[in-house]
Amino acid sequence: MSADTVQSIIDDLGALLLFTMILIVAAGQIYRAIYAVAAQSLLIAIAGGVLAAATGNVDLWVIAAITLVVKATLLPWVLHWVVQRMNVRREIEPVIPIAGTLALSVLIVVVSFQVSASLGPVRQAITGNALPVGIALTLTGVLVMATRKTALTQMVGLFASENGIFFTAMAVSQGMPLIIEIGVILDVILAALVMTIMVLRVRSTVDADIADLDRLRG
Amino acid sequence: MTVGETLLWVLPLVPTVTAFAMLTTRDRRILSALDVGSSALLLALTLILAREVAASGPHALGVLRVDDLGLVFLVLLVILTFAVAIYTVGWLTQAVAVGNMQAKYLRSYFALVHLFVATMVVTILADNLGVLWIAMEGTTITSAVLIGYHGHHHGLEAAWKYIIVTTIGISFGLFGTVLIYAAAAATGVQGSAGTLSWSAMMPVASTLDPGIVRIGFIFVMIGYGTKAGLAPMHLWLPDAHSQAPTPVSALLSGVLIKCALLGIIRFQTIAAAACGAAFPTYVLLVFGLISVVVATPFILAQHDVKRLLGYHSVEHVGIVALGLGFGGPIGTYGALLHVVNHGVTKALAFFAAGKAIARYGSRDMRVIRGVLRVAPIGGTLLVLGALSLAGVPPFSIFISELMVLRAGIGLGHSVAIAIFLAMIVVIFAGLLHHAGGMAFGQPTAAASREPESWSPLVGMLLLAAIMVVLGLGIPASVDGLLRRATEIIVD
Repeated sequence: MSADTVQSIIDDLGALLLFTMILIVAAGQIYRAIYAVAAQSLLIAIAGGVLAAATGNVDLWVIAAITLVVKATLLPWVLHWVVQRMNVRREIEPVIPIAGTLALSVLIVVVSFQVSASLGPVRQAITGNALPVGIALTLTGVLVMATRKTALTQMVGLFASENGIFFTAMAVSQGMPLIIEIGVILDVILAALVMTIMVLRVRSTVDADIADLDRLRG
Repeated sequence: MTVGETLLWVLPLVPTVTAFAMLTTRDRRILSALDVGSSALLLALTLILAREVAASGPHALGVLRVDDLGLVFLVLLVILTFAVAIYTVGWLTQAVAVGNMQAKYLRSYFALVHLFVATMVVTILADNLGVLWIAMEGTTITSAVLIGYHGHHHGLEAAWKYIIVTTIGISFGLFGTVLIYAAAAATGVQGSAGTLSWSAMMPVASTLDPGIVRIGFIFVMIGYGTKAGLAPMHLWLPDAHSQAPTPVSALLSGVLIKCALLGIIRFQTIAAAACGAAFPTYVLLVFGLISVVVATPFILAQHDVKRLLGYHSVEHVGIVALGLGFGGPIGTYGALLHVVNHGVTKALAFFAAGKAIARYGSRDMRVIRGVLRVAPIGGTLLVLGALSLAGVPPFSIFISELMVLRAGIGLGHSVAIAIFLAMIVVIFAGLLHHAGGMAFGQPTAAASREPESWSPLVGMLLLAAIMVVLGLGIPASVDGLLRRATEIIVD
């Protein structure tokens, strides 16, 4: 593949990633948000595959495969399982209306492109528009975590945010060293595990959503 | 392989192996013996490593590396771990008796504490900035479980807030790391596909693209700053510190937030080389001042003694950030000394507060009255700790705060110094008011009059001794270590 083809593929994937992010922000039901974040991880895996084929970097193949297995399959499956087990009645519960978060996420995208445009020379080393897309994904994921009151939606936001970082790392410098990427994924899995246990624990003891507890003040 | 290199991989292994060994037994005496024994071993090995480094400079092994800067934090970590282990013996007897800790889950508690210590050891020894991040997230995961360990929903609420807020924060840290890695890889000077190694990055740091490093450093500052408890990202800190079991609170406040500061220092040196020293100075001063200012009203209005100590940590992390921001040999030396002083003193304060809470069955400072009457030694230590935290001479914190102030005045940061001084004075008064109320006066009827048990006292006396010694005069070996560490940051 020529560098131009790769660049245009990555740009297209970046557009699709932003689209899945908007789906996550706009999702009124927890299931939709989970499917959207799974689709987003799948796109990240494809981006990894494309870059691997273009550069011949074996590490990127491994990273793409791990992303596919862990982030596109395993973690969404766990979330799905927890939702079914908890039999969630309340769905998303935004702190501010979804339209408001959508407007904020548009703002984030614009600012991300502005910031990266100001960088100039460094961008030569970076494939296409990967940097602004990565920044936008990361910040929007954080936005989702901050504006939702249910624990599972906050976890979806966390995974989306992590996706943004992975995408940036891939496009910016063909991924970080393999061992680091594996360590990062391991941390994400462990964090998801601990969070799941906490969610189930609170649900079983006080029948409330852990993210909704607000006794600790001042 | 030299002694130093061997120790590099043995050190993280000691607590890890201990953690797994602990899972094989349920006997509380064996668990406590393992706890104290392993912490003492860690302390001894660290002192050997410190001597090696003092004699023959930094040692590196793969992704791990130890230099004088890391040693400052490592020594603090192992001393506090040792003190915590001794304190836990007596604390546990009482906690099990009142049902705060369940006897059948004790082994997983001990195992988690040691895994937590192991992740912090790796954080401190990490040379590779990616490993630094992974270990830092590891500390979040292990300590989140510990914060919720009491199992009631306040604890779980605090644990959830902690894990969500610090994981968001630390994501920013990873993003910043990726950007700086990209800047380093773009220079192409680094050989094998650009490593994330801090020691390999430093020599070429001045050639990195300033634009991308600037954005990267801001991300890192927010990320590791969250973990360090700098305002306005400190939201998790008072909850976590107040809900965690007391020995864990001491580790969180004494070492964990300092480990995050070490991460910030590593990136600060890169940013200072790439964009000039003025940029990181400015960022650190802003976060430092916000922390000191934000913490003040909460300290004054607080009734919960452990939350008070939590907010107080926000203030002191702010002071360290100010010291690093003012920079120069004096400011940096002061900041590092403050890291040690605050770690030791804050752990002592948490220990003493934990004993008082157990005695009165409440964390409310309006209930805890007249500690000196019912527990003379513990009460004295509580007063000493509070005096030191407030910054009264001749205790150690006074010395380091004075150095930070002197650096700020010498370099002409008059506005920052004015705000800093005003807040220090207010907090001084507030803290002495709170401590005076707790120590003197008539004990409430709720107070238990049991004699004081020996093991918490030994743990506290150890820390109090260090606090007094560092206040009276810094021993030559410590001074040498801090000087060499300062040189690494200042160049």
